[in-house]
Amino acid sequence: MLIFFILAVACVWIAYRITVKVHYNWNWGVMPQYLFRFDAAEGRWVAGLIVQGVLITLRLSIYSIVVAMIIGTVMGLFRTSRSPFKRMIGWSYVEIIRNIPILVWIFIFYFFISDQFIPTIGLDDPAGSKSEFTRDLVSFLFISPAQFPAFLSGLLALGIYEGAYITEIVRAGIQSIDRGQWEAASALGFSRYHQLRHIIFPQAAKNVLPPLAGQFISVIKDSSIVSVISIQELTFQGMELMSATFLTFEVWITVMLLYLLICLVCSLGVERLEIHMKRGMV
Amino acid sequence: MKINSSFLKNLRVITAIMVITACSNDSTVTNQLTVQESTIEQVQKRGVLRVGMSTFVPWAMKDKTGELIGFEIDVAKRLAKDTGVEVEFIPTKWSGIIPALITGKFDVIIGGMGIIPTRNLKVNFSIPYDYTGMSIVAHKKVAAGFSRLEDFNGSDVVIAARLGSTAVTAAKKYIPKAQLRLFDDESQAYQELVNGNVHAVVGSAPTPEFQAIKYPEKLFLPLDKTFTSEPIGFAVRKGDFDTLNYFNNWIGYVESEGWFKDRKNYWFRTKDWEKMIK
Repeated sequence: MLIFFILAVACVWIAYRITVKVHYNWNWGVMPQYLFRFDAAEGRWVAGLIVQGVLITLRLSIYSIVVAMIIGTVMGLFRTSRSPFKRMIGWSYVEIIRNIPILVWIFIFYFFISDQFIPTIGLDDPAGSKSEFTRDLVSFLFISPAQFPAFLSGLLALGIYEGAYITEIVRAGIQSIDRGQWEAASALGFSRYHQLRHIIFPQAAKNVLPPLAGQFISVIKDSSIVSVISIQELTFQGMELMSATFLTFEVWITVMLLYLLICLVCSLGVERLEIHMKRGMV
Repeated sequence: MKINSSFLKNLRVITAIMVITACSNDSTVTNQLTVQESTIEQVQKRGVLRVGMSTFVPWAMKDKTGELIGFEIDVAKRLAKDTGVEVEFIPTKWSGIIPALITGKFDVIIGGMGIIPTRNLKVNFSIPYDYTGMSIVAHKKVAAGFSRLEDFNGSDVVIAARLGSTAVTAAKKYIPKAQLRLFDDESQAYQELVNGNVHAVVGSAPTPEFQAIKYPEKLFLPLDKTFTSEPIGFAVRKGDFDTLNYFNNWIGYVESEGWFKDRKNYWFRTKDWEKMIK
């Protein structure tokens, strides 16, 4: 309670300083229309720029998490494999990705790597060649077809990047299981696949869920970095709005509160999940 | 024996990786070959002109409804209409807009891009369809008494500008001794000025003038007119003369109607459009 009080006082003091010292003309009145606005032509409420950005951020994060989970699980298994070759692949992947700054990785991926395969799968210009249905589907699931190539490379870049961290979480989870479990399963005649499937994974899952959930929240936050390759997610929309309206503080504060809200909800969800799982263990 | 077979398996995987890499090299070659079909032909086939731009008031910005408006937006829409195709805008960060053009993320940059020799070595420009100039807006307290360009040419003077813009080139040329502080967006540069952390912002007219009007008690215009004059053109990928020829003649055609002047008046001399964004 005391901490919240101190925080509130600090905020008020900073706001006061900005208004008095910088002579900043606060204009909160115009912000709500960038969240939701009433479309007179269609006669209903529609998402404003900022909320459109939130939707893209959420989609981008969810798909990246799926990609990262798939890569992370495969690579995590490689890291704990008995084959030195697979272990080498897993090790190289993790060490290369983890030692590149995410910003640099996203640029490299967008400008050099994604050009190599995105045109070949015919997604280069979905606006022209694909049927109406495909285009509607793409807009519904991802983003408008015109922005889809950039969205896809952002999604993959983020997925591959976060996959390295998930690899390590999966590896730690598998290695946290006592050797005796492997040996006992082996003694009962389980094959290596069945050992993993029935003995190791169910136990490891409980250990990795909390760090995994933490990683998911980190993906949501890291997704702001893809604004540099012009994907119109929350941060990008915020910056665009700021350039157009010069409402620097109002826009950044709104963007910050929205990220805080999304991540806080996820974080509280994880907390509940952990409590629930602890109960399950007893 | 065991070691050998696993070695062979690995060798196969490595070969597969090499084949994939070779294939991707192939696709670069085909990319280069298809460039022989000019961009404008591809645009007609696709039925969509993809335009790279960046938010720059009042050249291009989003209005309340999320629609793009501005001088360059009008130009691009008219160009697409006259070509008989749809227009699609691809908002891109200014600092990465040339790499994005070169790697084919869109067909043309219509974004108030100044024609400067160093840029021209990387991309081809159409003939100018507009001229702009750099102005300077300074902080009343921090830059008190500054009235000539030479006043800003001191090593203790800090100037803010937008990263990768011609404002940077102009500042380096006319006030080489001043320190530069560069931002990804123009609004950040102006915020820095309003906060009193820099002496002045160099930017394309008329934004510095608009900012001086917005904060009359903090900012002032030390010079009464722009200190450079820059030609503005469309940027296209190098070596595509068919497209360039089309754009040049389109500009000549529209210019003779006086259309550019009319649009420029609306966006740069009036502020009628301001209610569309706030």
